[in-house]
Amino acid sequence: MTDQATPQKSPRVSRRTLLRLGLLGGIVASGAIIYDRTKEVGVANWFKWMLRGQTTRFAPASRVALVSVPSYDDDLLRAIHSLWQNANAPDLQGANVVVKPNIVEFVPDRPCFTNPHVVRALIQYLRDTVQVKSVVIAEGMTFRRDPQATLIQTGYRDLLDSQHIDFVDLNYDDLVLIPLRGGYAKLDKLFMARTVVQADALISVPKLKTHHWTQISGSIKNLFGIVPGIKYGFPKNTLHIQGIDAFLAELLDSLPTPKRFALVDGIVGLQGDGPLFGTSVASGALIGGSDFLAVDATSARLMGFDPATIAYLSFIAWAGLGQLDPNKIELRGASLNSLMRSYEPAPKI
Amino acid sequence: MSRAIEFLHAAQNADGGWGYKPSGMSFVEPTAAVLLALHQDAPTDATVQRAQTWLAELQRADGGWGIAALDEESGWMTAWAVWALTSSNPQAAQRGVNWLLQNAGIRVTDPQQAEGVKKVLRIDPTITGWSWQPGDAAWIFPTALTLLALNAMNVRDHPRVTEALAYLQDRAIATGGWNIGNPFMVTGDMPPTVENTVMALMALNAFDIKSEITQRANEWLFRPFTSTAFEWSWRAWYWAPSNVNVLGAREVVSKMQREDGSWDGNPFTTAIALLAKGEKND
Repeated sequence: MTDQATPQKSPRVSRRTLLRLGLLGGIVASGAIIYDRTKEVGVANWFKWMLRGQTTRFAPASRVALVSVPSYDDDLLRAIHSLWQNANAPDLQGANVVVKPNIVEFVPDRPCFTNPHVVRALIQYLRDTVQVKSVVIAEGMTFRRDPQATLIQTGYRDLLDSQHIDFVDLNYDDLVLIPLRGGYAKLDKLFMARTVVQADALISVPKLKTHHWTQISGSIKNLFGIVPGIKYGFPKNTLHIQGIDAFLAELLDSLPTPKRFALVDGIVGLQGDGPLFGTSVASGALIGGSDFLAVDATSARLMGFDPATIAYLSFIAWAGLGQLDPNKIELRGASLNSLMRSYEPAPKI
Repeated sequence: MSRAIEFLHAAQNADGGWGYKPSGMSFVEPTAAVLLALHQDAPTDATVQRAQTWLAELQRADGGWGIAALDEESGWMTAWAVWALTSSNPQAAQRGVNWLLQNAGIRVTDPQQAEGVKKVLRIDPTITGWSWQPGDAAWIFPTALTLLALNAMNVRDHPRVTEALAYLQDRAIATGGWNIGNPFMVTGDMPPTVENTVMALMALNAFDIKSEITQRANEWLFRPFTSTAFEWSWRAWYWAPSNVNVLGAREVVSKMQREDGSWDGNPFTTAIALLAKGEKND
């Protein structure tokens, strides 16, 4: 016997083993990424949204209508009629409708709120042509506990009185606790105004404007106003803490009204330091549709922004709650190019 | 009995509470405000006692109150309940005080983050007060309201009180008054609001703080602006203890009373108007 050991031959790694190792590494890395992206929301939720998002790619295109309206003095009723027809709006005959404009605040010379002329024409159209059963204007202001002064300053008080329309302050309405379907935010239930919960349809009528938290403020961001301030505070910051992108997805997904429509007041928009202190832009557009994401994505394009770079729109699209891809948005009416402007972005906070 | 009190009696819900509109669901805030308006002159009134019972029964195990019976989380309306029950149910009120002192608004502790917030919002986020809900930042209304409730319970020297008084002064708008708590936003001063300015001034007055900040806020309240029953009632409530009829506020508030005895058809606004008038027989 000899002590001299036979030289060990180092094991040779076959190509197959290498491939297996590579595959295993890929699986582990993918698992780590999925774990990282889902640790807040859970794997099941993440896959549900991701799959729905992928499925939405094969869904029919969403229709969005554009109307060129240079001024609030133009025939808004005719413009809304055209938009309503082109957008293939839901049938609201006999429906109880909540119209939710953005009445965020009155700041002199800053067009930060939905112009009441647009809402006036919309309500006339809903009453006379669509023949809804009832319509109310509803808002839950963010910065003020009492809306009355702002209703006067913005011209809404005149509209309400002259057209005999009820105003529902969504901050003080009776409340209903609704289940949240999505799982995006850390809440599983949300208090919501009874008027919204019991309505047949909600029409979100935002202002076309920039926003320093969310880049743009459209029909989805406008939904923040339906959340009651007496529970979530003024300015409803508790919900911002949930994560704005996640909470907006949650609101859109859990909206209890069976029918919905968005009509964006882009006749005069607001650029720069939105949502309050920006400057006006003559955009000359009304934008409408039933798919809030498609409407907001089109609004972003009209402002000169790429909606895919706007975090909450991108997240909502990924989760499959509407269409963002221009190839999946069927535009009707005025041409997008003719209405496009270059909005100054909001300063980032 | 005044028309206003008749309105409030008629608007009381079967459960003993009041909502923000007649027959609207009962909330802690309007119920507590009505109790504050009615209680001194009618502590044995059946209406008052039913409301006190409703409020006491709504107290949660942790000592706080939610906003209404269906709310399972204690929050800012705890301060209203404490204030309203101070004399009639001091034990319940004391449990509420304990809850309030254990809950604070978020405080930014990271120096870099604090500097960033100071730059954008011109506030010192290392100072906090009370929030609307646990887990939120502090805001003017719940902070001022809590200070008034603590003052009513004779809690005046607690460190949280000292910090909250500093918070109110830090969040004042440079040109006078307060809003929800954002005096400045990126490029401009945010406009003040009446109810926040009144609450902040009442809280600072209760703790004997007078400064240029309170002076500017007082001046802002004198300015003419689009006024409503809600805003005039709050202004008149603030001016009521001075016994001077500032800007004829009492007459203005009286003129805004509706045929049904209410202000705005709202039990809460009606309670504030009654507190402003300082007497019950109109």
